[in-house]
Amino acid sequence: MIGLDIHEPQSLEEAFALLGDDESTARPMGGGTALMLMMKARLFKPSALVSLAKADPRFHGIHLSSDGKAFTIGAMTTFAALEHHDAIAKHLPVITQTMVTLANPRVRNVATIGGNLAHADPHLDLPPVWLSLDSSIRTIGPAGERIVPLADFFAGYYETNLLPGELIMQVHVPVSPGWRRRYVKITTRSAHDWPAVGIALGLQMQAELCTDVRIVLSAATDRPLRLEAAESILRGQKLTPGRIADAAQATGDIHIESDSRGSADYKAHLLKVHLARALQDLSE
Amino acid sequence: MSNQRIVNFTLNGEKSTAIVRGGETLVELLQNKFDLKGARESCGQGLCGCCTVLVNGSAVAGCLMLAWFVDGADVQTIEGLANGNNLDPVQEAFIEAGAFQCGFCTSGFILMTKKLLSEHPDPSDEEIRHYLIGNLCRCSAYPEIIEAVHLAAAKMRVLARA
Ligand SMILES: Cc1cc2nc3c(=O)[nH]c(=O)nc-3n(C[C@H](O)[C@H](O)[C@H](O)COP(=O)(O)OP(=O)(O)OC[C@H]3O[C@@H](n4cnc5c(N)ncnc54)[C@H](O)[C@@H]3O)c2cc1C
Ligand code: FES
Ligand code: FES
Repeated sequence: MIGLDIHEPQSLEEAFALLGDDESTARPMGGGTALMLMMKARLFKPSALVSLAKADPRFHGIHLSSDGKAFTIGAMTTFAALEHHDAIAKHLPVITQTMVTLANPRVRNVATIGGNLAHADPHLDLPPVWLSLDSSIRTIGPAGERIVPLADFFAGYYETNLLPGELIMQVHVPVSPGWRRRYVKITTRSAHDWPAVGIALGLQMQAELCTDVRIVLSAATDRPLRLEAAESILRGQKLTPGRIADAAQATGDIHIESDSRGSADYKAHLLKVHLARALQDLSE
Repeated sequence: MSNQRIVNFTLNGEKSTAIVRGGETLVELLQNKFDLKGARESCGQGLCGCCTVLVNGSAVAGCLMLAWFVDGADVQTIEGLANGNNLDPVQEAFIEAGAFQCGFCTSGFILMTKKLLSEHPDPSDEEIRHYLIGNLCRCSAYPEIIEAVHLAAAKMRVLARA
C-alpha cells in the first residue's frame, strides 16, 4: 500500500474538495475496517483516504430528540459506542442485542455505522435492523443535504444511491414504543461469523391482534429485503400457528443467492423455520 | 506531503516519534520501527486477535489500523505490561494455568483479558467466551485460557484488597 495519501480535513468543504468528482479514487473513511480489508485483498487501491473524523461535529454523537420520538446518530459513531449507550439500550434494545453478535470487541471499537451502511455488503447485520425500524439517512454533499429513507438507499451488491461526493452524515431512527423487536442472526460457522441469514423483525400487537409488522431479510439477496408478502398475511390478524406458517411459506418466491455460508435452498429453509419460530416467540 | 508523516505518541508510557507511510499498519510500525514483536499479524483480517494493541485504552486490531492515526494517542502493547521483572497478574495466571503451547496467540489473549477484567472483575465462563470470541488459539488451549482468566481475576481481587 505504498503511495497511499491520507487526509484529515477539518471542514466539509475541504473534505468535498479532497474527495473530488465521480472519477476520483479518493474514498471517505470511517473506521477503515472494510477499506483495510479490501485494500489488503487488493480488491481495490484508492489513491487517498479522507478521514471524516474531524470534518464536522454532526458526524458524531447519539441524540434523542426532546420529544423522545427519534434518535439522530452520527455516521462516525462506533459500534461500541452504540452498544454501551444507555438511552439506546432503553429505547432501541434490539440495537443493543444486535451489537453483541457483531464481529468482536476490537472491531466494534473501531467500525462505524456510516461505514457499515456505505459499504453496502448485503451480509451485514445492522442494515436490516435499521430498515425494520423505518430509519432514514441524512446525507450531505457538494449540492447540499438530503433525507433518504433507508428503503431507497441500497442499490445492490456494494452499491448505494449516494450521489457522487455525497456522504452519510447521520442516521435517523424513530422510537416505536409498544413494538416488539428482534434480530435473528443465523450463523453456520461460528457464533460471531457473518450471517448465513439475518431476519430483522418488528411486531406491533394489540391484545391478540397484530396491528403492524416489519420483516426484513438479509444475507440472502443483493440488498436487505422487506418481505411484504409475508407481512401482509400477518397485518391485522391474530397470529395463530396456521397464519404464522402461511407467512413463512410466503417467503418461498424470493430469489435467494447462494454464498459460502449456505446454498440458496438451505438459506430458504433457514428463513422459513427461523421466521416462524421468531414470530411465534414474539407474539406470545 | 500526505503519504508520509511524523507521528508523536506515547508508547508504553514513553514519548515516541516515528515517520510513517500512508499505508503502514500499526503492527508494521511496532515491529519494524520499535522492534516490538508481541503484536503480530496472523490472519490480517481482524478475526484472530494476535495483533491486539490498546490505543487510548481501547483494544484494536493492529492489522487493520493505520499507523498514521496514532498521532497524539496513548499506545500500549504486551511489552509494556510487566513492571520491570514483575509480571502482571494476568501474565502470571497464563503461565500458572499453562494457557498456551506455542504462545503465538498469547499476547492478544492477555491484553484482551486485561480489558475484560476491567469491565467484568468476576466474569462467568459465558462472559469470558463471549469477550474472547475474536481471539483464536490454533493450539487450542481454550480450557486452560478460561482457567487462566478466572485465576487472573482472583489474583486481581486479592491485589485490590491489599
Ligand atoms: C473481522 C470482522 C468481522 C466483522 N463481522 C461483522 C458482522 O458479523 N456483522 C456486521 O454487520 N459487520 C461486521 N463487520 C463490520 C463490517 O464488515 C465493516 O467492516 C464495517 O461495518 C465498516 O465500518 P468502517 O467504519 O470501518 O468502514 P470503512 O472501512 O471506513 O468504510 C467502508 C466503506 O464506506 C465508505 N464510507 C465510510 N464512511 C462513510 C460515510 N460517512 N459516508 C459515505 N461513505 C462512507 C468508505 O469509503 C468505504 O467504501 C466485521 C468486520 C471485521 C473486520
Ligand atoms: S492479525 Fe489482526 S486480527 Fe488477526
Ligand atoms: S498457544 Fe499456540 S496459538 Fe495459542
